Amino acid sequence: MKTLSLRNLGKTYFDPYAGAHVTAVHDVSLDVEPGEFISVVGPSGCGKTTILNMIAGFIPYSKGDILLDGKPVHGPGPERGVVFQSFALFPWKTVLDNVGFGPKMRGVPKAERDRIAHEYLALAGLSHAAHRYPNELSGGMQQRVGVVRALANNPDVLLMDEPFASVDAQTRMTLQEELTRIWQERKPTVIFITHDVSEAVFLANRVVVLSKGRVLDEIAVDLPRPRIWDDLVRDDEFKQLSARVLQMVRAA
Amino acid sequence: MNVLLQIWAGYARLTRRWPGIAAIIPFIPVLALWTAVSEAGLFPRAFFPGPADVIRAFFTLTYKGILPDYLQDSLIRLATGAAVGMALGIPLGILIGTSRWAHRICWPVLLFFQAIGDIAWLPILLIWFGFGLTTMTFVIVYTVLFPVVLNTVLGVESVPRDLSRAALSLGASRARVLWEVTLPGALPNIITGLRNGLGYGWRALIAVEMIVGTSGIGFMMFDARRAGSTVEIILGMIILGLLWYIVDAWILAPLERATGQRWGLVTS
Repeated sequence: MKTLSLRNLGKTYFDPYAGAHVTAVHDVSLDVEPGEFISVVGPSGCGKTTILNMIAGFIPYSKGDILLDGKPVHGPGPERGVVFQSFALFPWKTVLDNVGFGPKMRGVPKAERDRIAHEYLALAGLSHAAHRYPNELSGGMQQRVGVVRALANNPDVLLMDEPFASVDAQTRMTLQEELTRIWQERKPTVIFITHDVSEAVFLANRVVVLSKGRVLDEIAVDLPRPRIWDDLVRDDEFKQLSARVLQMVRAA
Repeated sequence: MNVLLQIWAGYARLTRRWPGIAAIIPFIPVLALWTAVSEAGLFPRAFFPGPADVIRAFFTLTYKGILPDYLQDSLIRLATGAAVGMALGIPLGILIGTSRWAHRICWPVLLFFQAIGDIAWLPILLIWFGFGLTTMTFVIVYTVLFPVVLNTVLGVESVPRDLSRAALSLGASRARVLWEVTLPGALPNIITGLRNGLGYGWRALIAVEMIVGTSGIGFMMFDARRAGSTVEIILGMIILGLLWYIVDAWILAPLERATGQRWGLVTS
């Protein structure tokens, strides 16, 4: 497990339609400890997805540094797993082969990567769907596959870009609870991007509030785990934290 | 009313058990009309032969060995042209679809040459290569190439960006992304391109055989015109339609369905 550091990270790009340079991320510094669960929350246009895409290596950064265990990162790599809002499952591969894709790229033999994939599918309660194709599954199940596909590759950091934004409200709550359970079992380092304040507070150890490409504030969340919605909706501390974060996001 | 419903129900049951019949039944009225017109004696027999005459010609030509030989020649030419067209078209399409520079350079040239139809090449090809196999192969390859390239480009560009990103962040190299994501993602479109290409190629082949050929179905039809044999011409036309139906409905369409629909990339 390694520490991820953002140092004065910035992103400026040329917008050909506006005919001008646009700064999406001004100056963001952040240290993420191994095994920490961080939510990054902010209004749309605050630069949260841009930051995630830079950490994932999908887009280059214009200034500052992204360091993983002190070493700068450039371009995508398997030590930074990504869970997409669009799920991004390979439609021509079965669920089992989707989850085994990372190990396959590492050269793990077929029998061993099937074993790994089965183990992770069991973790998400998906063993029965191993031989189905993604389009045969519901949105919630597809994203469960998306999460375990990233986890099965044993990344140092798990980057999640609004992963539950496109599933229905009830399924979203279940997925959030499952994610906290899996996190407790495996303790991956997670950076979770969302615009949903209660989701951010529910999941994280620390909530980072972003505004106009800058970190506005960081709030520690020490709510006990396991976290379950039925309990937390009545929990005063959860309500107060959520209200505080919401106020900041709305003022941002 | 009741009787019609019963007939319809019987038809539905029949076609569900033997789907092949559903393709044959629509031709019954066509055949009946053809028979009626030819039997009515409106036109001279040699000018407008009936189904029986054509079937008789089919057996005579098959017995003489002319028809199987010509059919084989045409199919081999089409298969060769299609194979070469794919071997050139798919890599070219992937290159254009993945590289912005290749796209900028190749696209205008591609559109320019696409506008020069296959047959428009014949005059210069006849001077360069003469009346032979090279000329015919060139035209078929040329015809197959464009639909394959254009559809491959479309297929490559339609692969969602997140899929390549997912593969990269799972540790895939660029080459593995091409093999594991780009190619399978573009496959339904590539097959559509091949299906279109073969359709155009088949028609182009017949046209070229008429002008250049020394054998083949197109040659048979054009040669029959010289002898005034309407039976052989109509037989040739029927064979063209039948053969394409078999290739398209039994090979290409199932292939297209097997990829796109299975993966949910193509709806319906």
